[in-house]
Amino acid sequence: MKVLRQLDWLLLASLLGLAAIGLITLYAAVHQGDIGLWQRQVIFWLIGLAVFAGLCFIPLRVLGLVCWPVYVLALLMLLLVPFVGDVQMGARRWLNLGIVHLQPSELMKWALMFVLANWFATREANQTAHLFTALILAVLPAGLIILQPDLGTTMVLLFAATAMVIAAGLPWRWFGYAVAAALAAAPLLWHFMHAYQKQRVMTFLDPQSDPLGAGYHVIQSTIAIGSGGLFGKGFLQGTQARLHFLPEQHTDFIFSVLAEEGGFIAVGLLLFLYGTLITRIIMIAGRAHSRFASLICIGVASIFMLYITVNIGMVSGLLPVVGVPLPFISYGGSALVTMLAAMGLVMRVAIESQGRIAWQRPGSALV
Amino acid sequence: MHTQLDSRRRFDIRILFFYSMMVILLGVLATHILHLQWVEHQKLAQQADRNRINIVPLLPVRGEIIDSKGRPLAMNRIAYQVMMIPERVENIDHSLQQLSGALKWRPAKLTHVRERVRRSRPDRPVLLDDKLKWDQVAPIAARLHHQGGIDVQVGTYRYYPYAETMSHLIGYLSLARSYDVQAGYLSTEFIGRTGIEHSFESTLHGQLGAQQEEVDAHGRRISVLERTAPEMGKQLQLTINAKIQQAAAKALGKRTGAVVVMDVQSGAVIALLSKPGYNTNRFITGLETKQWQAWLNDPRKPLLNRATQAAYPPASTFKLVSGLAGLRQRAALATGTTTCEGAVELADRKLRCWKRKGHKKLGMHRALVESCDVYFYELGDQLGMASISDEAERWGLGQKTGIALSPESRGTIPTHQPNMMEAIRQAGAHKRMKWFRGETMITAIGQGTLTVTPLQMARLATAVANGGRVLKPKLIVGAETRVLHQVDVQEDDLQRIRDAMFDVVNTPHGTAYWPMRGLPWKAAGKTGTAQVIAMSQDDDEQKAAPEYDRHKDHAWFMGYAPFEQPKIAFAVFVEHGGHGGSAAAPVAAAVIRAAVAEGLGESSLQIASGGKKP
Repeated sequence: MKVLRQLDWLLLASLLGLAAIGLITLYAAVHQGDIGLWQRQVIFWLIGLAVFAGLCFIPLRVLGLVCWPVYVLALLMLLLVPFVGDVQMGARRWLNLGIVHLQPSELMKWALMFVLANWFATREANQTAHLFTALILAVLPAGLIILQPDLGTTMVLLFAATAMVIAAGLPWRWFGYAVAAALAAAPLLWHFMHAYQKQRVMTFLDPQSDPLGAGYHVIQSTIAIGSGGLFGKGFLQGTQARLHFLPEQHTDFIFSVLAEEGGFIAVGLLLFLYGTLITRIIMIAGRAHSRFASLICIGVASIFMLYITVNIGMVSGLLPVVGVPLPFISYGGSALVTMLAAMGLVMRVAIESQGRIAWQRPGSALV
Repeated sequence: MHTQLDSRRRFDIRILFFYSMMVILLGVLATHILHLQWVEHQKLAQQADRNRINIVPLLPVRGEIIDSKGRPLAMNRIAYQVMMIPERVENIDHSLQQLSGALKWRPAKLTHVRERVRRSRPDRPVLLDDKLKWDQVAPIAARLHHQGGIDVQVGTYRYYPYAETMSHLIGYLSLARSYDVQAGYLSTEFIGRTGIEHSFESTLHGQLGAQQEEVDAHGRRISVLERTAPEMGKQLQLTINAKIQQAAAKALGKRTGAVVVMDVQSGAVIALLSKPGYNTNRFITGLETKQWQAWLNDPRKPLLNRATQAAYPPASTFKLVSGLAGLRQRAALATGTTTCEGAVELADRKLRCWKRKGHKKLGMHRALVESCDVYFYELGDQLGMASISDEAERWGLGQKTGIALSPESRGTIPTHQPNMMEAIRQAGAHKRMKWFRGETMITAIGQGTLTVTPLQMARLATAVANGGRVLKPKLIVGAETRVLHQVDVQEDDLQRIRDAMFDVVNTPHGTAYWPMRGLPWKAAGKTGTAQVIAMSQDDDEQKAAPEYDRHKDHAWFMGYAPFEQPKIAFAVFVEHGGHGGSAAAPVAAAVIRAAVAEGLGESSLQIASGGKKP
């Protein structure tokens, strides 16, 4: 089969390596409690891989066509959330669609990225008009999401948009202005933050200030990571995990289970696999046959890198607590399937680019 | 075309940028994690252990207290306790509500417990309820694995078989208070507060043990890692004889008063009773404020240990001290006689004898036997205040006996009272003489400002019986006998007093003849009847209780038995009891009968030092 020959095997291998680490770690995290979670995650992997495989067969231009309607749909759903959304943990984020609970902000993250990729596929980001359109496209959903309130997703959204704009050729000077403007706006942002968000930032700055409250999670996960040492306490032997000192140890805090039981050996392996995966995605971006395809790969890589950094940074006390899953490791069906779908798109770019010249690169060798 | 190439080149640079960003971010993460897992590893591993290892103190069992015959006076009974470690409980209020329902607490108890939890250290166990039976705690124990931080433990609680009779002597325990916790006790430990439980706290308490447990984040015990057993407190055997104490209590009945019985040779305290008592068993579960207030406000003052903490005028029992002073000073009247016409005139005052028609002509012997006041007014007048006070001090009055029960009253000897000396100094010379004479004369019959504790009087009786050895009262079997002071008294002089005391009990003229007839032991003693009218310090409180006959005299009887080979000495005090002969002496008779029944005469060495006359 032609597709099999054209597959990027290194990408697939690192993906499967992550699947193995993810399922082993999840088993350690849930083996005392609800083992059904682990079984469900195996099924999510199968579903996700099926989506991944399916997307390998769908031409990229289809995505170019559907991304605009999807963006508009996601925007409409975000508008609906304040009126008909479910309230969970104090924030109105979910839409009940009968079969599934959908988080429109989650969909918007990807839709915005595709729309920006499509917008800049034929445009350079060094023209004010183009940039202004991109700004509108990003700020509309960001404004709606921050009102939910969901600071974490808003920042992911804005970060992904920024990454896209930089990839699309934003002059560095302008980037510098934007950063300066953001820093200037920070006090204003602080003013509009909810108490729990302020609390999180404060706790991040000094976790010991509230050791039994908000700082508890970070203190305990840091203890778990550090106590794992270089070689770990052994599979299923982590006392922090086993005795339930870790909060959310099968979702957002799963990294500390891995670090406690597997030590730096497991952490190193995980980071190596992430590194390989993202390196592959960036390489695919570099030799893609169209600018649209390249930008999509850069977007996917950025979102991944952001998730990894924010999650590991959070559980190890480097960054404030923001609810972001660790890609491929954290329990959770929709996140996993979405990420595998994104991988499927990247794989499709790799397949389509096989034997073709990279965009606007006259005379360059076939890669 | 140019712009297109430009665009491609720019994009290639951007790709390099993203790649570098990835390398930097992954590098930062790897470095940070490596720092935690390598550099900080030891510190964080210790924290992980501290997280999971909980050191639970194991309370020692308190030493038991037994009497001289091995009867338990304070023992431990098995019961279940419910404890809570507040910081490990997710919703304290909710848990307390649940427990309150399961244990059927009254609302006041729930409030009390809630307050207790609020004020306790969150990382230490707090006692919620104890003295529980298994069927009470079984439902809680069954649910325990759902309720982290709550624990049911088998424990013991203190039980006093003679709670009312021995309340002042044995004392009671209560839970450690905040200052005890600061001193190193756990808030779940019981500490002796009064009596023997307080004085011998360190002996009885025992050593804490500890158990290292692995716990999960909710404080639930997963396994026991290490255990050091607690060390039980030492058993304490008292010189007290429970049967004799009970006999004394029964003889006193509902009256208020005190009885002290001591071993004549060793100073061992055989009985030390104060009435009314209070139920010390009620302290164990944490006494409710209401009951405590009731005891505090009771006009009969049940919390006061009348045997050691309260001092009263000794009345006529003091005449033997005045007599001894007279013999020591070779006062004319000590060997001579006087005539009692029922009163003595002193300037504008008239000092009466209790016998209005008078005793007529009499010497010291008959004055003691029939307790003539006039004789002793005159003897006191001849002796002067200093001689009387010095003699009283020689025999151990006006000073603490040093018994291991605190606090102890020292009583009052007039010249040792700073206020009085000041008053004397300030009064004019002539007035001073007149006033001071009268004061001296009534001191000689044991009235006035002179006060003594029943324990001091029992020790005085001991010293009279054993030849002048003033002993430190001891409570513990095996404790050393300590002679605090040997009175340099002539044996003949002492014998004259003893003979008089013998006749008080054994001749029909004696003030204690009738109640003391027919005892298995011949006893010697002296009665006393203290006038209360002159006393006014307690008036206000006593008015509150109409049934409390505050105008009746205090009754005293002190002495020793058997006369030939003295074994026990005793002092009986009955507050507002009336006459010493009729109110106090029968209690002594009951004590002697109990002592004989308990075989007190048979066992010890027969050291004769008090007997001569049959």
